[in-house]
Amino acid sequence: MYDFTEEELKRYSRHILLQDVGVEGQEKIKQGKVLVVGAGGLGAPVALYLAAAGVGTIGIVDGDVVDISNLQRQIIHFTPDTDRPKVDSAREKIKLINPNVKVNTYKQFLSADNALDIIKEYDFVVDGTDNFPVKFLINDACVMAGKPFSHGGILRFEGQTFTHLPGTACYRCLFNSPPPAGAVPTCSQAGVLGAIAGMLGTIQAAETLKYLTGVGELLTDRLLTFNAKTMEFRKIKTRRHDHCPLCGTHPTVKELVDYEQPTCELKKHK
Amino acid sequence: MAKITVNGEVQEVQLPLTVAELLQQSDVQQPDMVSVQLNEEFLERNEFPTQQLQEGDEVEFLYFMGGGQVYV
Amino acid sequence: MTHTLDITQEHCPMTFVRTKLKLAQIEKGDILEVLLSEGEPLENVPRSAEEQGFKVIAVEHVEGPVHRVIIEK
Repeated sequence: MYDFTEEELKRYSRHILLQDVGVEGQEKIKQGKVLVVGAGGLGAPVALYLAAAGVGTIGIVDGDVVDISNLQRQIIHFTPDTDRPKVDSAREKIKLINPNVKVNTYKQFLSADNALDIIKEYDFVVDGTDNFPVKFLINDACVMAGKPFSHGGILRFEGQTFTHLPGTACYRCLFNSPPPAGAVPTCSQAGVLGAIAGMLGTIQAAETLKYLTGVGELLTDRLLTFNAKTMEFRKIKTRRHDHCPLCGTHPTVKELVDYEQPTCELKKHK
Repeated sequence: MAKITVNGEVQEVQLPLTVAELLQQSDVQQPDMVSVQLNEEFLERNEFPTQQLQEGDEVEFLYFMGGGQVYV
Repeated sequence: MTHTLDITQEHCPMTFVRTKLKLAQIEKGDILEVLLSEGEPLENVPRSAEEQGFKVIAVEHVEGPVHRVIIEK
């Protein structure tokens, strides 16, 4: 029982010292399997902190390669990683921080076809993605499969996150479907202060560790939003809504959907 | 004038006022990217132009946040 | 049942880390006798154990710099 090597005892000493964690909590972290969808702005700090914490298995899903514009905020990728698949770059850094962590990489994008299969073996899922179609997909798949997950989104100087446990508010309780096709985001929607990704992603990592160890209260039935310009943090009360098309009393979303990505008009006509 | 709470802040508004009008008044750039909670109840988008606000109402504007990616 | 732990060669905070590990491995109601050195370990371990809900029954001087802390889980 509590079979830690010398190296692990030293490595995780700062966790073990915590009354709320101890060796029991560290053992739970070690047994934990977490899937991080997206190895970008949010996925980067999440993966780094979960690796540091000693989460036993970390899965990373991302079909993208590292682009120079990512380096402003995706701190798991470094300049020499440019043009390299993100999952490979992420895996390398995770193993360097903590060789004890098992890393599963999925060099693909999450879709209606693969989502349920991929999330199946994990205890907790983290949404580290940057587009609405896949946020709805993660939500729908997790709710259907009864998987707890952390939702996260950032924009410019703001961030928002909540944690879902079966029976609590889901993404569709707050936003019942993706933005209308006509509501094309302007290019400024792509702007974000790099550090905001760290602020939000680290909160998601903390929620994940709280879930694994059972410490504290999770951000369920609340939407935590912050504005870094004023450093105002707010928790908006939410709950599972009867009308929700996915988890409500008369669900209309019965299967996973690959929503279309809206396109920037300027780019389309180039 | 009536007092309502918008995104945690108390505001004085002139009634009658619908949710759609409040969104416009609040300078919300893209109303299609906003979800509205009124007194902790989710409001359907098609109700924005008809839902009247009352004294003491608590309104939350929830913004879609994707962030970072430029759609191609 | 009584168990022993010798951490006289350890420095803080590994002193308390090892104490916690041993406490996690024994049964509730069991006694753990911890041998430790004066200075930081003697100042920190009994206090931290009490703070975290363990019962410190006694702190005794053994010989020279070595002390014994008796903890009940």
